[in-house]
Amino acid sequence: MALAAEIRSDAAAEAAPGRAGRFLATLLRSPSGVIGLVIVAALVFAALFASWLAPFDPLQMGAGRRLTPPNAAHWFGTDEFGRDLFSRVIFGAQLTLRIGLIAVGISLTVGLLVGLVGGYAGGWTERILMRGIDVLFSFTEIVIALACLAILGAGLTNAMIAVGIAAVPFYARVTHSVVLVEKGKPYFEAGPAVAAGHLRMIFRHLLPNVVPPLIVVATLGVSTAVLAAAGLSFLGLGAQPPDPEWGFMLASGRELISRAPWIMFFPGCAIAVTVLGFNLLGDGVREALDPRQHRA
Amino acid sequence: MTRYLIQRLLAALVTIWVTTVIVTMLIHAVPGDPVRIMYAQWQASPEQIEAVRRNLGLDEPLHVQYWMFLKRVAKGDLGRSIQGDQPVASILKTRFPPTLLLATTSLIIAMLIGLSLGFVAAYKRGSVIDVAAMVAAILGVSIPHFWLGLILLFTFALKLGWLPVAGEDLRTLILPAVTLGLANAAVLARLTRSAMIDIFDQDFVRTARAKGLPKAVVLYRHALRAGLVPIVSMMGLQFAYMMGGAIVVENVFAWNGVGRLAIEAVFARDYPVIQGFILVFAAVVVLVAVVIDLLYAWLDPRVRYS
Repeated sequence: MALAAEIRSDAAAEAAPGRAGRFLATLLRSPSGVIGLVIVAALVFAALFASWLAPFDPLQMGAGRRLTPPNAAHWFGTDEFGRDLFSRVIFGAQLTLRIGLIAVGISLTVGLLVGLVGGYAGGWTERILMRGIDVLFSFTEIVIALACLAILGAGLTNAMIAVGIAAVPFYARVTHSVVLVEKGKPYFEAGPAVAAGHLRMIFRHLLPNVVPPLIVVATLGVSTAVLAAAGLSFLGLGAQPPDPEWGFMLASGRELISRAPWIMFFPGCAIAVTVLGFNLLGDGVREALDPRQHRA
Repeated sequence: MTRYLIQRLLAALVTIWVTTVIVTMLIHAVPGDPVRIMYAQWQASPEQIEAVRRNLGLDEPLHVQYWMFLKRVAKGDLGRSIQGDQPVASILKTRFPPTLLLATTSLIIAMLIGLSLGFVAAYKRGSVIDVAAMVAAILGVSIPHFWLGLILLFTFALKLGWLPVAGEDLRTLILPAVTLGLANAAVLARLTRSAMIDIFDQDFVRTARAKGLPKAVVLYRHALRAGLVPIVSMMGLQFAYMMGGAIVVENVFAWNGVGRLAIEAVFARDYPVIQGFILVFAAVVVLVAVVIDLLYAWLDPRVRYS
């Protein structure tokens, strides 16, 4: 019993009740964390209550006169089809959140799996997996995303998959490096001595240590994913008409930039604020989880 | 040192080899018939499609295809484009110089702004300047490039009329270069600040200060050089990234580089061009990575002697 108690990992000790409370308290003390949290909460609110907040149907053509500048009835003006831009931006929050979550979900699942298996198994499995990740890493995200879209074809779902896959190397590397650190600790070597099985080692000891850095990476990852997906939609490879997707709206505003600059202005603002929100939240979460490196 | 270099070069070769495999597989990963998809916009007859399939070697077994591909690439032949039926290598060659010009100019802008902002912020840590610089930097990493580009285009070309919207003029370089430069400067400023703060806190810097060396000398001779390692690495990455064509920015400003080419090719499903682009791009990234490693060894003696 004494031995078993001794080999409990740091993570298990830290998982004592009150850890979540401490995390939240630290998060709320950092200015960036608070601002980020407020922005993200506002985004979630807009997405959940879009039909209640938006004065018009986002797809309804002729909701106002075509290309009306911002005014009391149409806060953000109207586009070339007379659709209300404010309503479209509000509904865009739904799409953007979905894109961010699905893309990050893909990167997180695949990256975690590759990093854990590679790091835990060691030997050739590790060499092959991590070498492959290195190669992908040197392709950079945009090229991986383009290659995926070249295979799958354009479209919003494909863009989400492409953005998700493109970020896998990053998540895999973070997971792998944490696993390597844990494997070097004495409790890990003692595991087999107390007959701890593979699953127990992975779920009880490795995962709790891998999760905190991955939360940071995933929060910041949402902003990267949103930015990348908006970029693909802007290029015409993501969302298709009549989706109220911000990047796509920006692209159509580009044609009319001299006549109706508001069409490209507001969706761009929405993307910037969203990305800023997740960046700040990510910084705040990092500070809260690891006070030692809060300067980056 | 030699062993380290050989290891790095071997790793680079492995990366390029894996890339050739991936690029060959790319066309086979396409759901359905890639040749039909490629020619969907061109109304090709079944005989023509069959001829294309033969020309691309798609009727051969996979290992034969791969071997043929390697032999061609070794001779500098990247195949012919579907659109316009031109050698892919020469298309890439004409699209490369504009991208190189844009990437280099942007990197210089990013360096000037990013390094100085980050350095001053670290030096005046906690001051108003520091806070202002970091607010600017986080805004800079959050604003989409394409939006910033459009805003600059709207302000300086359309409203103020200071710069041309398009044309052959070298002044058309300014807006895309500033757009990309600002975005990269933001990343560099954040990194420089944290790297410099790490260095300022280290023993050798404190020792140098304690010896009575002037602050400027300590910063320049000791701190800057040691802190440069992660920064150089990031700049290398940024440069490599832009060499793949800052895809979105090239499209906003109708800049005729490889990034725009890549998008055109993905739209047209022009697989030979996509394959050529990925291969050349991977080679550029690997090359830049090797150069960064050399710089590392030069900047950081610990790498040289281990």
